[in-house]
Amino acid sequence: MSNNKGSAYGQAASDTDFRKTYDLDEYAAKAKEREAAEKEERKARWEAKMAGKKYYKPLDGSETLTTARNATQDFSRMVGTSTLVPAGAGVGKRGRGAGFYCEACDLTFKDNLQWIEHTNSMQHQRSIGQTGEVRKATAADVHARIVALWERQQEREREQVVSLKERLEVRAEEEEKEREEKRKKRKEAEERRRLEKETALKVKTEYGEDVRVEGEHDEDDMMAAMGFTGFGTTTKK
Amino acid sequence: MKKSEFHRADEKRFLDERGSSGSLAPNGLNPATIMEKAVRERIVDCYFYKEQCFGVNEADIVDRVVEHVDFIGGVYGTVQKPTPFICLAFKLLQLAPSDAILDEYLRFGGEKFKYLRVLTAFYIRLTRQDKDVYQWLEPLLEDKRKLKRKGRAGTTLTYVDVFIDDLLTKDRVCATSLWKMRKRDILEDLEMLEPRVSPLGNIEDLLEEEEDDEVKKEGGDDSDGSVRSKTPDSGLDSNHDKIDVDGMGESRSSRSRSRSRSRSRSRSP
Repeated sequence: MSNNKGSAYGQAASDTDFRKTYDLDEYAAKAKEREAAEKEERKARWEAKMAGKKYYKPLDGSETLTTARNATQDFSRMVGTSTLVPAGAGVGKRGRGAGFYCEACDLTFKDNLQWIEHTNSMQHQRSIGQTGEVRKATAADVHARIVALWERQQEREREQVVSLKERLEVRAEEEEKEREEKRKKRKEAEERRRLEKETALKVKTEYGEDVRVEGEHDEDDMMAAMGFTGFGTTTKK
Repeated sequence: MKKSEFHRADEKRFLDERGSSGSLAPNGLNPATIMEKAVRERIVDCYFYKEQCFGVNEADIVDRVVEHVDFIGGVYGTVQKPTPFICLAFKLLQLAPSDAILDEYLRFGGEKFKYLRVLTAFYIRLTRQDKDVYQWLEPLLEDKRKLKRKGRAGTTLTYVDVFIDDLLTKDRVCATSLWKMRKRDILEDLEMLEPRVSPLGNIEDLLEEEEDDEVKKEGGDDSDGSVRSKTPDSGLDSNHDKIDVDGMGESRSSRSRSRSRSRSRSRSP
C-alpha cells in the first residue's frame, strides 16, 4: 500500500529494510569450509590418539628449524620493575597475568623453570613457527666454530689488557671532572650568597623618601627596621 | 631407514626409545641408558640442561663448553646438582657425533679448550669400542693442563692426564659407571693393538737409570757436602719419574708379568 502512495525517497521501504541484509550463500560456504576444517582436525586428533601420540597442528611448510639459544635468559633484569596486570588475571595460566608472559601462546608462567619448560615444549615451538628440529653440524662446521670461538677469546683477552689501562685513564679523568664540577658549584654558591648580601644591604640603604610610592615598601621598611630582610626566601627581590 | 639430517631439539624421543628403535652406540650400548637413571633424571630436570642444552647441535656444544664448563664432575653439592659437564655429556650421547667431529673436538679443539678435550674423552670412553678408546685416549696422557673437579665432597685440583688415566683404569668416573673394557694386554694378545710406547721412553732403561742413581746416591753419601746437596734433588726426580711411570703402567695395564717383577725387585733394596 505504501507502493501506491510512493515514497519521498523514490523507493518504497518496508518495515524491516533498515536491517542489514546478509548474503546467505556466502556465509553458508564459509560455514561449510570451517566445518570441514574442524572435522579434519577432529579426525587428525582422533588418529593421533589412536596411535598413542599427542596431536599438534600440522606443519604448513613455512616453519623454520629450531636453533639453540644464544644467550642466557636474564631474569634478574626484571628486578625492581613493575608491570600492570589486568584485574581479572591471577588464576590459571591463560592470558596475561603476573609472571612471565608468552606472547605467542598467550600464557603466563609463575617461575622461570615453568617458563623454560614451556619454551622447550612442542606447543610453543609450533606457535612460534618452528619445527622442533635442529640441523646436524658437519665436522667442517665444528672446525669453523672452534676457530671462531678461539678468535673471540683471544680478542677478549687482548681487549681486557688494553681496556684496563684505558679504564684507569678514563677513571682518573672522570674524577678530575667531578672535582672541577664541585669547585665550580661551590664558587657559584659563594658568589650568589655574596650578591644576596649586597642587594640586601642596598635595599636597606638605597631607598630615599623621594622615590617611594605610598605604601609600596612598607613591609620592607618594617622588616629592615626590625633587622631582617625577608621571610627566608631569597627569590623575592 | 634413511639417515636424517636433523636432530630433535629436545631429549624426549631419545629417552623414549629405550633401545627399541634408536641406534646403538658403537660399543653396543644404548646411549639413553649409559648414564645412571638417578643422574639422568637429575640432568633432565636441571635448569642448565633445559635452558642451555635445548636445540643444540654438534657445533653449539663447543659454544656451551667454552661458555659454561669450567669444572668437571658428575653431581656436586649436598643437593647433588648435575654439573654442566655431565649435562653436555648427556647431550652428546643424544647427538651421537661422528668420528670426524670427535676428532675435531679432541685434537683441534682440545688443543685450545681443555674442557672440550676431557668432555670428548669422557664421551668416547662411554660409547666407543675398547680398542678405539685406547687409541683415542692414550695420546692425551701427555696433556698436563690443570682441571677443576667438583664432587659431593668439594672442589679438588686434577690434571687432564690424571683424568684420562682415571677413564682408562677406574670403573666409576663423574657419577657414571663406565662399562668394563678389556685390558690392554688382552687386546695386544688378540693383536688388535700395538704395544704402547711410553713418551717417557723404555721402562727397562728407566729402571736401570734409577738403579744407577741409587748406587750413586749411596756412593755420594760419604763424600763432601756439595755432592750431598745435589743428591736429594736427583733422588726426588727419580722418585717423580717412578710415580709417573707407575701411573702409565697402570693405565696401559700392558706391563707383562716379568716387567712388573723387575720393577718390584728394583724397588726392594
